[in-house]
Amino acid sequence: MEFKNMCTRKIRQGLIDKDFSAKEIVDYSLERINNSEEKIHSFIELSPDLAYKKAAELDDFVAKGEKLPPLAGSIFAFKDNMNLIGTHTTCGSKMLENYDSTFTASCVKHSIEAGAIPIGKNNMDEFAFGSSCETSAFGPTYNPWDLERVPGGSSGGGAAAVASGQVTVALGSDTGGSIRQPGSFCGVVAMKPTYGIVSRYGVVAFGSSLDQVGPFTRNVYDCALTLNALSIQDPQDCTSHPLDVDYTANLDKDLKGKKIGVIPDFVETDGIAPDIKAAYKDAIAKLKDLGCEIIDVSLDHAKDAINAYYILGPCEAFSNLSRFDAVRYGFNLPNSNLDSQTSNSRGTGFGNEVKRRIILGAYLLSSGIYDKYYYRAQQVRSLITQDYTQAFEKVDALVMPTTPNTAFKLGEVSDPNTMYLSDIFTVSLNIAGNCGLHLPTQIGQNSNLPVGIQIVGPAFKDENILQIASNLEKEYKFYENYERITRNF
Amino acid sequence: MKTMKELPEIFKDWEAVIGLEVHAELTTLNTKMFCGCAQSFGDEPNTHTCPVCLGMPGALPVPNKAAIESIILAGLATNCDIEKETMFYRKGYFYPDMSKNFQTTQGPKAFCMRGHLNLNIDKLGAKERTDIDLNEDGSYDTRIGIERIHMEEDAGKMIHVGGSEGRISGAKNSFVDYNRAGTPLIELVTLPELRTPAEARAFMQKLRQVYLTLGISDCSMEKGSLRCDGNVSLRRHGETKFGTKTELKNINSFKNLHDGLEYEIKRQCAVLEDGGTILQETRHWSPSDKKTIVMRVKETADDYRMFPDPDLAPFSLTDEFIDGVRAKLPELPDEKIERFVSDFELDSSDARALVADFEFSELFEKCASELDKSQLKKLSNLIVNNIAAHIKDKKCSIKDTKLEPQHLVEIVKLASDKTLNSNSTKKVLEAVLDKGVDVAEFVDNQNLAQSTDSSEIDAFCKQLLQYNPDKVAAYKNGKTGLIGFFMGQVMKHTQGSVDPESANELLTKLLNE
Amino acid sequence: MEKLTEKDTKAIADYAKIALDEAQVIEFTDYLNETIKMINPILDIDIENVDPTFHPIGNLRNVMREDEPNPSFTQDEALANAPLQEDGAFKIPSPLAEGGDQ
Repeated sequence: MEFKNMCTRKIRQGLIDKDFSAKEIVDYSLERINNSEEKIHSFIELSPDLAYKKAAELDDFVAKGEKLPPLAGSIFAFKDNMNLIGTHTTCGSKMLENYDSTFTASCVKHSIEAGAIPIGKNNMDEFAFGSSCETSAFGPTYNPWDLERVPGGSSGGGAAAVASGQVTVALGSDTGGSIRQPGSFCGVVAMKPTYGIVSRYGVVAFGSSLDQVGPFTRNVYDCALTLNALSIQDPQDCTSHPLDVDYTANLDKDLKGKKIGVIPDFVETDGIAPDIKAAYKDAIAKLKDLGCEIIDVSLDHAKDAINAYYILGPCEAFSNLSRFDAVRYGFNLPNSNLDSQTSNSRGTGFGNEVKRRIILGAYLLSSGIYDKYYYRAQQVRSLITQDYTQAFEKVDALVMPTTPNTAFKLGEVSDPNTMYLSDIFTVSLNIAGNCGLHLPTQIGQNSNLPVGIQIVGPAFKDENILQIASNLEKEYKFYENYERITRNF
Repeated sequence: MKTMKELPEIFKDWEAVIGLEVHAELTTLNTKMFCGCAQSFGDEPNTHTCPVCLGMPGALPVPNKAAIESIILAGLATNCDIEKETMFYRKGYFYPDMSKNFQTTQGPKAFCMRGHLNLNIDKLGAKERTDIDLNEDGSYDTRIGIERIHMEEDAGKMIHVGGSEGRISGAKNSFVDYNRAGTPLIELVTLPELRTPAEARAFMQKLRQVYLTLGISDCSMEKGSLRCDGNVSLRRHGETKFGTKTELKNINSFKNLHDGLEYEIKRQCAVLEDGGTILQETRHWSPSDKKTIVMRVKETADDYRMFPDPDLAPFSLTDEFIDGVRAKLPELPDEKIERFVSDFELDSSDARALVADFEFSELFEKCASELDKSQLKKLSNLIVNNIAAHIKDKKCSIKDTKLEPQHLVEIVKLASDKTLNSNSTKKVLEAVLDKGVDVAEFVDNQNLAQSTDSSEIDAFCKQLLQYNPDKVAAYKNGKTGLIGFFMGQVMKHTQGSVDPESANELLTKLLNE
Repeated sequence: MEKLTEKDTKAIADYAKIALDEAQVIEFTDYLNETIKMINPILDIDIENVDPTFHPIGNLRNVMREDEPNPSFTQDEALANAPLQEDGAFKIPSPLAEGGDQ
């Protein structure tokens, strides 16, 4: 049986039709991962025991003729900042190298309850601080389209795992673009749902008011299906919303009369790669063909989002990462002086980018500075949110690039502040809380790397952007390109 | 340092400015503030913990609704404005007993703002203050403003081991137990309106009464569920600026609060009058050394990097929610004092003494329903004098004794109809408190019933006055202390079997004829 | 805009309990100054009369749970990841201890 490019729907149908067993899927996936990991390194840990346990449960369901849950048999990987009992949760950091998960994150639990098979934990930038997956304490992940290039970050491992066909679905977390940017670099469907749709309980926090969990998939349907499983209000997360939406419901509806907003300023600036510009223009043309009305809108404060983000993110991160003090868990350099033990353990257990952001956050929150930067950044957040609200009074969704560039080479970007600019099109959504999805559309003419567009929707209208993505997917059929790379692994 | 002046002398020149910060754990709730761990005291370490209160990576807090209701209750009972729009903040500081290395607390706006408590400072406490009009009974009334009451979480506990003679100062290792971490805590901050140690003590006692009445905390200073920090500074009378204050941390009894503040006032006065300056310090009151000891000098203000906690949704309390809490308000101490005065015809100092301890007033009310109004004064006296002395002596509470309300009812009845004189009454009461004896049986066995035949004593008293005409004359001329002489004679003659109260009554009557 | 000095960086790192060597202090000071320069345009935005959005959660308010207990960890579970433990508690060098290598 050939599972290679199989989507969730086909796997589930195959199980129902007894074409193969769930155990066979796990056998196949583990073999495939083992064969390709040396080149891609998208995993920090595999969880074969948990995978086989879930497979046995599903095979039992089939044997008893019970109804299979919607994600049955789908091979899932989780970013290694998501707790799962029976695995470590390292966050790509020496600090948590030996940390055993003591509970399971709600998003992981919801996936597995919906039939997903947990195959392992994906590599990531340390504590999700990064845009290239190079800051992982356990070595970088390589972009399956070009092994000399980064997969993007911070959820680079998940994007690479899905692109290379190691797994069906991977869950990432997105604080400033950490799902969409690697989605763009690796050419997979990558969604940051509206803040509050997916529980953050059990996902190690970076920026609590910015973090949101979302899927990497090879097609829009799997993305919607996964979101269905994840969008459960969680009593353990105060910011999780009560919703009852079937995200697959609109996928086949056409786009006639839909109003799509574009922001001309965004693509007319320097520093946007020609392939990215071309993909964007092509997508706009396609949307017109599909009956959409294209409307110019302005997001005056979107350009300020990156600055607000590099205030809010580090401040929240500083506070969230204070708990790593070598007392209850984590890397410890024993010392007879408590202060020295704490500082040395943190100084050694955390990598440089983590330390930079902690110190930046500690500075920005200090008295006298707090009002100047943090408070102001939260006011700017109101302005950015207002801009989106006003734009969405005129249009159903916005289309813009996801990243200014295609995947860069390992080691190519070393200055942290240059690295930060790769988030320029993604952060404003985390600031405002609304939803965005990266859809891969083409292979770039110049770069020979995947390119695509970002579709942005209003808060809690995630079904809108899935519908637009689904219609464009039918036009582009980008998934046909996967065969090009999967045969390499 | 030269000998320190006493308070009344100090207060001739100086005014003390005292503020309190009072922490109360909401011990009567089932679970912690932000997680579903059961509250516990004295259990095996780290057996009431979970990802949330251990600060495990990825855990998120969810506030306990009953804790929010409790703090609103506390606010309503202390005359606070309830702030509807509030948020939780993170207060950052690294300390191993704080599992997240930040404390979840409230920011500039707390759930309860701008309240007050009315205090009555008794005759003894009133001696510390010379600038105020006293009531007839020598006490005075005052009102102390409350800045705020905010909601937060308690820290875990650290045990320090390895120092010599069990002193913590030389400990090598500490052991952290997070069972207490995340216990709901309300912190009340007074305005700096307290002026004497007695007022500070009275405030704490009153607040404890209120919290106990509300049933939101067991308020045990011994166990640490009620804790208090006091800050104090001195300034010359008429001065409007505050002096430099010192802070007394972790005070664990009313007495220590009073004595620690008293010492600090004396010490500060001596330093200031000696031309010295007060350093902004945190100090610790050592009852055994009878002095305060420096814990640390605050050179700069602490920077806690406070910001709104993004994990907790803001609050926007509805009138419906607040009214729902208001409906649960029980009768408060001040209201109870008023009722005791009007319904039971007690004088206000008796009523106050009863209400001062929730157990006292509870016992009183249970017994009062079975007694006549005329017997209530006796009942009140037995509770606030004899029973209070007993439990103070035994360092226990009424519920730890064998006394049942029915016992007390019987004793009061027997005392009222003069079957028991005051000595016998005391004897029976002690036996009941200690052993829970049957009252009637005990009185019988011990032969405590006094003869109700008063004619003999009546005759003796009349004879006594006849034999001592000069003393009777002196008494009538104002030497009323001579009643003691006559009483002595009566007691001697009857060998103590007569009820001193009725003898006293009789003598007074005869002497005034 | 006054630049942060290496002394400032050291003080912040001390507060945040991050041990830095001398080279890192220099590097981090540059980083802080560069990053602050990058974000400084935010100071020019007109934010008069704009309320801050601390929680991007729309109208979600008063999220609470009932006062009902959930199972807790066993002592072993609680201590499973402890670097040092003794008698059921997390073991640390005493904050009151003197000496040690600073």
